[in-house]
Amino acid sequence: MSKTLTVDGIEYPLDTQKTLLENLESQAIKVEFHCRDGHCGACRCALLSGKVNYISYPMAYVREKDILTCCSQSDNDIKISTY
Amino acid sequence: MAYTTFSKIANDAMKEPMFFGNPVNVARYDQQKFEVFEKLIEKQLSFFWRPEEIDVSRDRIDFMNLPDHEQHIFISNLKYQTLLDSIQGRSPNIALLPIVSLPELETWIETWSFSETIHSRSYTHILRNLFTDPSEVFEDIVTNEEIQKRASDIAGYYDALIHAVQFMQLHGLAKQESIDYINLDGLKEKLSLRSIKKKLYLCICSINALEAIRFYVSFACSFAFAERDLLEGNAKIIKLIARDEALHLNSTQQILNLWADGKDDPEMAEIALECFAEGREIFLQAAEQEKEWAEYLFKDGSMIGLNKEILCQYVEYIANQRMQAIGYEAPFEVKTNPIPWINHWLVSDNVQVAPQEAEISSYLVGQINSKVDSDDLSSFEL
Repeated sequence: MSKTLTVDGIEYPLDTQKTLLENLESQAIKVEFHCRDGHCGACRCALLSGKVNYISYPMAYVREKDILTCCSQSDNDIKISTY
Repeated sequence: MAYTTFSKIANDAMKEPMFFGNPVNVARYDQQKFEVFEKLIEKQLSFFWRPEEIDVSRDRIDFMNLPDHEQHIFISNLKYQTLLDSIQGRSPNIALLPIVSLPELETWIETWSFSETIHSRSYTHILRNLFTDPSEVFEDIVTNEEIQKRASDIAGYYDALIHAVQFMQLHGLAKQESIDYINLDGLKEKLSLRSIKKKLYLCICSINALEAIRFYVSFACSFAFAERDLLEGNAKIIKLIARDEALHLNSTQQILNLWADGKDDPEMAEIALECFAEGREIFLQAAEQEKEWAEYLFKDGSMIGLNKEILCQYVEYIANQRMQAIGYEAPFEVKTNPIPWINHWLVSDNVQVAPQEAEISSYLVGQINSKVDSDDLSSFEL
């Protein structure tokens, strides 16, 4: 069964092989990004439900319940909200 | 407490706060209280570059062909960047190294400041190429009123901290009945460790505003020229500088957030609350000054793709982003990036410096002859 990515209440299909940022971009959702490497923190989003796996070390300061979309993937349904 | 280059106190660095604990002794990196600073060092070292690697020889022709008001924008912007990096190339070392207590943070500060000196060297590289004698440009930095206005604001927080720490390390804080502390405004001030920590907090806020807002406003101007295929060598250098700056602003965000979230010195957590309004004011003030700067840049006219209004919107946009990253509310209305193209210049992994790759776009354009005459088709038969 295909997985879903819910952004600000709207559901989109989730490609588990891509980072969340790439998922957002492939759905033409305008989101902020700078370094795409986890160190600038520009792509920070709030995690409402679900879990992410970081494919590289998230160097920017992430508070609890925050995620960096540029360096994370998800294997399952996930809900996030943009800032 | 006097500064010592090698403290003989057998302390556990894992239990020290970031600042104002025991002086650092053994420079060891096998263990870190805050791993992120070690990661930052590694990343910064992997980013190492030299300005001479980048060919800026074409920029002179582009610059000569710019109209006067665009030359003013370009040169003023470069002067401002030179000022910012002149400050950053020395100040973190002088202000923060005497009070740091974690070996990984100490080395990060040195690595950080060193990379800023490379930025300073690259401005000379750029200017040397644009002018036969760049002295006039450099000399104007200390006399130009518009630049001076921001210089004193940025340097002020550093200087206040450095001055107070020097007094503390020379005289200690216990003997203030017999030795008065006269601050930089010439006034007598009662110093305590807490009041010096406050100066440190405000100083880090001011550094963060510098690296996270002020620099990005100047980057926008540099990249706006390159979006028109002008001064591309300069933009390539600025791209490398921007990649470094993302790391630097990350480190000051880390410090501020670690304090505010109570993960470091508990007294700093209290100070973060106490100075919340003052810290916010530093960011708002920086944003305001950058808008005034935009006014000065575009005083004689705007350029294609960028004008005063757009740059001011970007100031507000980036200020919102940066303030949210350290726990403040976004103070400005603007919700979307007025210059979304800038993000593609800020991606860290596609920095391209080889000249043959850079020139490809213009090379291809030259191959296409768009004029087709009917004579060209005269030999065709149907």
